[in-house]
Amino acid sequence: MGTREAPDLGIPTEGLYSGVATVLEHDVIPFVSYPYEWTFGMLRDAALLQLELVRRAIGAGMILKDSSPYNVQFRGSRPIFVDIGSFERLREGEAWAGYRQFCMLFLFPLLLHAWKRVPFQPWLRGSIEGISPQECRSLLSLRDLFRRGALTHVALHSRLERRYQQRDADIKQELKAAGFRKEIIVANVKGLEKLVSRLRSPASTSTWSGYGLTTTYSDADADRKTLFVSEAVTSERPRLVWDLGCNDGHHARIAAATADYVVAVDADAVVVDRLYETLKSERTSTILPLAMNLVDPSPGLGWRGVERRTLLGRGRPDLALCLALIHHVVIGGNVPVKEFIDWLRELSAVIVIEFPSPEDPMVRRLLARKRPHDHPDYRQDWFERCLLERFDLVTSEHLSSGTRTLYHVRPKS
Amino acid sequence: MFAYIDPGTGSLLLQAIAGGVAAAAVAAKFYWGRILRFLRIRKPQDEASSS
Repeated sequence: MGTREAPDLGIPTEGLYSGVATVLEHDVIPFVSYPYEWTFGMLRDAALLQLELVRRAIGAGMILKDSSPYNVQFRGSRPIFVDIGSFERLREGEAWAGYRQFCMLFLFPLLLHAWKRVPFQPWLRGSIEGISPQECRSLLSLRDLFRRGALTHVALHSRLERRYQQRDADIKQELKAAGFRKEIIVANVKGLEKLVSRLRSPASTSTWSGYGLTTTYSDADADRKTLFVSEAVTSERPRLVWDLGCNDGHHARIAAATADYVVAVDADAVVVDRLYETLKSERTSTILPLAMNLVDPSPGLGWRGVERRTLLGRGRPDLALCLALIHHVVIGGNVPVKEFIDWLRELSAVIVIEFPSPEDPMVRRLLARKRPHDHPDYRQDWFERCLLERFDLVTSEHLSSGTRTLYHVRPKS
Repeated sequence: MFAYIDPGTGSLLLQAIAGGVAAAAVAAKFYWGRILRFLRIRKPQDEASSS
């Protein structure tokens, strides 16, 4: 990941418990993300990177003292290990201390997702330590126990953990005496690599997968929209772009042609996973796909609520795309129009936003699930008033199908 | 037992089971040592020096 010794900038050691041996720096990760925002494929690839590092470290007489997905970041679709401090000298005869953490934060989340269709994202967001062996065991059926890896890594693991919970026996010493050696760790890691690489996300048709095919746009509208986005991005020359409600990533790609980096966010993890796999096969390093619901974005978590930062706490975009998004936030998420525009203003970014009128087929589909007057504020005139009170209009365009309008606006100073 | 994170006693032991043929031998030896101690054939402090 491009780690090097940093020039001595006179790091203040005052207040530190011990001195500083050396200062390292590494290439800046354009945007920090967390496992509960990743898709199945992303967590799996991060797990495989972690395992490969353990295996190769052992070959060099080292090992990793922990095994946390929070030590992995993504540069586009490429996982990057960011914690040099994890490496330590291998002590002969000792087992891999990070194995339990690997199970709790990588293996069990993936197993439950693949075998039981339990998405790992809400669980990892709710539990910073991950899923314990006992918790994972409780969710497996008898049939699941016949799956590869279930008996040892889950059933036996949970049983041994319960059995040895209250005992202080020096198992480490006993294992060493019984001849435990590094080849055993390597065999275990190779087994895990095989297990993890064979896991597949359960094929399910999510709400929006296939949206690219079933969309209600005419081709002419889609082309105009593409051109509008392209012109806005080219004229603004943003470094960081957020594509909110990215779907198949079409507009994220257009933005990436000009911007340094694009964070492509969608609430549908299945759609985002598909985008990730496509970006991975293209080796794209400038688009980071993330699964997140904007109506309920990632909060601050961990110690003092700052160990894992909120979405906005990790950086703001220079430009945000909100295409075919607002009706989902307002009608689907019950957020008032004014509230949503307020939030957009808080980004202090140039905004490219699409407003589908209440007559639009997609909007009508969402409104059909509500009572007739649940969203009286979802009107184009009210939207425009809220928008133009907080932003200056650069340009707008009414699409020819008649129900959608695009706006390119800059925040009022 | 010192480690940066809690390695979990059960998790350590499991690795002597999940690590293939070589691990099976270690597991067997581990439990054999426990049986000997249970039968008081070997004293607990023999553990470390017995290998």
